[in-house]
Amino acid sequence: MTRYKREDPEITRRKFINTAFGASAAVGGLALVSALGGANPVFRLTRDKMPPYKGDMLIHAEGAKAGQPVSVADLSDKITRAWPQGKDKDGNPVVRKGDPNNILGLFKFPKGQIVAPTNLEATIDGEVVAYSDICTHAGCSVANDDLKAGHLNCPCHSGKYSPREGGKVTGGPPPRGLAQLPIKLEGDKIVVTDFFLGHPYPFTEAEWEARKKAVEDALA
Amino acid sequence: MNQWLDDRLHLSRLNDKFLRKAFPVHHSFFLGEITLFSLVILILTGILLALSYEPSNAMVVNSFDPGTADAPNLLPAAYHSTLKINAMPFGDLLRRIHHWCANIMVAASVIHMMRIYFTGAFKKPREINWWIGLLAMIFAALTAITGYILPYDNYAYNTVKVVYGITASVPWVGPWLAQAAFAGNFPGDGIIPRIYGYHIMLLPMILLATVGAHMLIMIKQKHTQPQYAKRLAYKKIVGVPLMTQQTPIMILLLLVFAGLVMLFSAFVPVHPVEYFGPPSTTPINNIKPDWYLLWVFGALAIIPSFEFHVLGGIIGSEFTGAMLFPAIPLGLLFLVPLLDRSKENMYYAENPTNHPVRLAAGVAFLAFMLILSLAGYKPDLISAGVLKSESANAVLWILVFLVPAVAYFATMAIVRGIARLREADERERAAHAELPSHSVPSQGAHSHD
Repeated sequence: MTRYKREDPEITRRKFINTAFGASAAVGGLALVSALGGANPVFRLTRDKMPPYKGDMLIHAEGAKAGQPVSVADLSDKITRAWPQGKDKDGNPVVRKGDPNNILGLFKFPKGQIVAPTNLEATIDGEVVAYSDICTHAGCSVANDDLKAGHLNCPCHSGKYSPREGGKVTGGPPPRGLAQLPIKLEGDKIVVTDFFLGHPYPFTEAEWEARKKAVEDALA
Repeated sequence: MNQWLDDRLHLSRLNDKFLRKAFPVHHSFFLGEITLFSLVILILTGILLALSYEPSNAMVVNSFDPGTADAPNLLPAAYHSTLKINAMPFGDLLRRIHHWCANIMVAASVIHMMRIYFTGAFKKPREINWWIGLLAMIFAALTAITGYILPYDNYAYNTVKVVYGITASVPWVGPWLAQAAFAGNFPGDGIIPRIYGYHIMLLPMILLATVGAHMLIMIKQKHTQPQYAKRLAYKKIVGVPLMTQQTPIMILLLLVFAGLVMLFSAFVPVHPVEYFGPPSTTPINNIKPDWYLLWVFGALAIIPSFEFHVLGGIIGSEFTGAMLFPAIPLGLLFLVPLLDRSKENMYYAENPTNHPVRLAAGVAFLAFMLILSLAGYKPDLISAGVLKSESANAVLWILVFLVPAVAYFATMAIVRGIARLREADERERAAHAELPSHSVPSQGAHSHD
């Protein structure tokens, strides 16, 4: 009869325990990261946070006329800041200032000065144009360029834009131009006709498409 | 009483082991103490300010200018409480002391770091303390950022918007990071409470931990000694005992420092929150961070515009200018101890001119940071006509690389000049000593390093 021969274990008890602890820590760490990944506060897309939407009226954002509708006579080649104002379910006005990136800048130039790459069909008679007022670099509000009339300068890192030319970047670090907003004249009020052309700060192209879809779904 | 306590707590062992520990004395060694004292004053004034500050960005009626029942004048509660602090007796002074101590703390720690670097005090066995010191400096800067966001005036609002944007610009995980760090999409209801938690709880705890570790390790490893100690008693500690000499010196320094800070604060105002007003859509012309972050700001100002799409993530000029690029100089700082390969422990502070490459590299690094800080003034330079908008970036980038190089070689030349003068001195001394008709043997003669 063959005598059974006991072999030594292939791993020591210490090594086994260390391996077990290591595996547990790895799994635990992964679980923690997964839990954290979903732990951000819920974002509710309320009407005051939605981007400018067709039918919105533009109202002054600052100064003595704050809250009043913007009229063409108020505009010039210097920036006039405006919020879009929509309506809630009951038809009451809702200013979309819940998202600070909804601030807009409006300009009026003599006919013929606004040129490509501006979308002329999205302007009023080729004279009045609206853009997102948020710099595409680090999200600051853009201001008039004191050294160059009719141009824009971001006070944070000297990004420069040209509102006559579709808000394109003319200097500094911004990765892309200001998003243009299609507008039209209804009576004496300036009204939004569609979403921003192009993706405004801070959205990527995909995120912007997702946001537009979310807005359409919420308002349907 | 002493014997009673000693029987139970072994105070005599504490006395022998710690309270009689010898501390070397040199005026440059007080820089670390200034940093510590600033931290102490910051905590004390911070406690007093926290008693009156309201950490909320909910809108409340402005008690200084209420408006009417139909149209109340609403302000964020944080901003409103800051106005009230300013109106308190000594409230404005408290804010000033707090503000200036923050600046002084960073300044003293930077100069302290320079002292360590130029005298080689980062060498074996002090690498760990160098790294802990760097961490403390970084967290001090982060604490300062969270501090000037808390008043939540328009300046603070724009600052935190940029900081949020930078956090969100990290490829792949940026939006999640930004929302996790700042309590949801900007500007969530919880943003000021969150930053308040950072400023008064998380970051001070980290600072106290790093500073405490810094000091404990210093005591364990012994302080570096001035060169004069080598001549007095080689490899022994030459200094004053902690309890009977060093502590009174430190207390005197603390009192003088606190007095000077209060005097300074009494006359020099800080950030005028009333001028900037509450958060609004109006941008602030030529907004700038504090001096110790100007270099990052400058990098953001001169970096060109670009975006790379990599595996669904975006690497843009914002992320590169605010995170990748600053990581290079910070990384170099962390690598400093690894440049030294000596096997022997280092006991004595070294003369910087005996290590010309290290000295020149340090000077070049400082020049690099200064030029980047200058780049932060790009809008002002353009407005003043010193630079043209079109060529400002090119000029500043050239300076960013040219000035450090010039500083490096200039320092090397100066050090060589010093070495040559020293050799000439030695030759002259030797020649003078050899003249038989004039020489009188001097038993007390010493040569100096």
